[in-house]
Amino acid sequence: MISTIETAIGMSRKWEAREAGREVAETAIKNLSRPPDFFLLFATIHYEKYGGFQEFLNGVWDVLPKDTPLVGGTVTGFMNNYGCFSRGASALAVSNPSMDVAVGVGKNTKRNPRRAAKQCAEMIQNGLKDSLYKNKFLLNFISGPVMPSIPGVGQKKYIRSGFVSKFAMQALGLSQALVQKGLGREDEIFEKTVQQLPDYHMILGTSMDDYKGMKNYQFYNEKLLTNAVVNLGIATDLDLGVHTTHGMKPTDLHFTITKLGAQNHAICEINNKPAVPEFLRLLNWPEGFLTEETMLHTILYYPISLRRQGREVPVVTPLIMKDAIFVPCIIDDGEVSILTVSGKDLILAVKENLHHFDNIQPEFGLFSACITILQTLGHKTNMIQEELHSYFKDKSFLLFYSAGEGTYSKEKDITYANMSFNTAVFGNQK
Amino acid sequence: MRDDPIANVLDDLMRLDEIYACIVARRNMISVMPSSESFKPEVNQIWDVIKRAMDDVFTVIGEYSGAGLTEMEFRLQDYEVLFYVFPEMENALVAIVPALANKGLLEVEMENARRQILKIMDNPVQKPTSQKTTDEVYVTA
Repeated sequence: MISTIETAIGMSRKWEAREAGREVAETAIKNLSRPPDFFLLFATIHYEKYGGFQEFLNGVWDVLPKDTPLVGGTVTGFMNNYGCFSRGASALAVSNPSMDVAVGVGKNTKRNPRRAAKQCAEMIQNGLKDSLYKNKFLLNFISGPVMPSIPGVGQKKYIRSGFVSKFAMQALGLSQALVQKGLGREDEIFEKTVQQLPDYHMILGTSMDDYKGMKNYQFYNEKLLTNAVVNLGIATDLDLGVHTTHGMKPTDLHFTITKLGAQNHAICEINNKPAVPEFLRLLNWPEGFLTEETMLHTILYYPISLRRQGREVPVVTPLIMKDAIFVPCIIDDGEVSILTVSGKDLILAVKENLHHFDNIQPEFGLFSACITILQTLGHKTNMIQEELHSYFKDKSFLLFYSAGEGTYSKEKDITYANMSFNTAVFGNQK
Repeated sequence: MRDDPIANVLDDLMRLDEIYACIVARRNMISVMPSSESFKPEVNQIWDVIKRAMDDVFTVIGEYSGAGLTEMEFRLQDYEVLFYVFPEMENALVAIVPALANKGLLEVEMENARRQILKIMDNPVQKPTSQKTTDEVYVTA
């Protein structure tokens, strides 16, 4: 079968926003003989200081053919056929005569996530309603968490003061509604999107900065947005699949969540006791062991397997407020367990994930992976790049690092997880 | 030094907020400094003691780089010093970062810098005459 699909990876390491925008577009489209049918664009937050993201987008549109559907946003880092990067910009451009494309946008995601999701999904639904292609795919890319700075405390992962924690927990809901600072609520948006578009294969990713959680931007055609969800919808005759793996392993440490707070985002009590001391007891960690610094090196390796509407939701603890463990998504109470993960497990999860697509001859691939993987593995993320390179060979692939990710397909339902590796592979059945 | 491509690689690293200083060095000798970017002021007050500690680390690097030592790091007060050793050499790319830096992200760019510098060392013909920027080297890699 002669492949008529053309794909290309754009890349820039330039510092100046406009120049980087031009280069990321140029390097992609010079490898295509036709204009791209869509342009997925990701950049690290650095351009904010070097001209700004509107200039970056202007640079892209200096080069990109007018009306090319474009979505994307800021990410913590990315990897592609050229390597792994935590600074720069990259794009995936695809031209395929047998493919229909639509893009969508929804605003005010932190204030009203369900409405934003509905609005965005409807744009895809309308855009692809006349498509004759049976395989449908959606990238659901959402503004990630922006942590409010607490007066006198700043942005911390561990707040020891009971008074400040109580204040912060109450202020969070208000902050979400008024100034749209807080959790990304990507789990709620993803659930609503799935409800709207149940026949699609989906990959979820979130927009972030350099792991600080201060700000993030989304790209929608020529527009620069904040607190938005952008969708890329594809209908195609290519075979495609999505799959999530995470490498986290169960331990024999189980507990029961007996009290939730902050709209089911905080575990306040475990086994009818204050959550944090009980969690430390279960792990056999001394009181006072967790600090701002040790959290980075310890708790990341002990995610919790939570539950949401009957599904397993493995998450990493991003924030501790006195005795409460904060989690990035809405959860249910009940019996859960502590998981464990190592760097080796993360690499094995990538291998296992790609093995799932052994029967597909890939044309291109898109991935979202958790920023904690990048933070944990550091430069050893190159081992993941080598795995991807060996699977895709000369075919294009682009992975972006996210803070809340997952996949959905009708067969497997929603998988939302932290520290996970999420794949969408497009190709032909062998 | 302005046209030294290795110095340009260091300039790129210095533009990252959490890299306070970076050099290519060996024991008792700084081989390459950034060309246009100066070290961030945070480092000035501690530079002398860090420099002495670095020289001691280079003794270990000299001893074990041939045995496959690739990275070392130490923490001194509120700073961490990362050493990315060039294989089979006594030289390393060294960076001073704050103790609570997002080290995973920095490591990715430190590794990219190490690879770029190795490429430059392997192809010295590119060194003074090439018009390519370090950015272009990567895009076409």
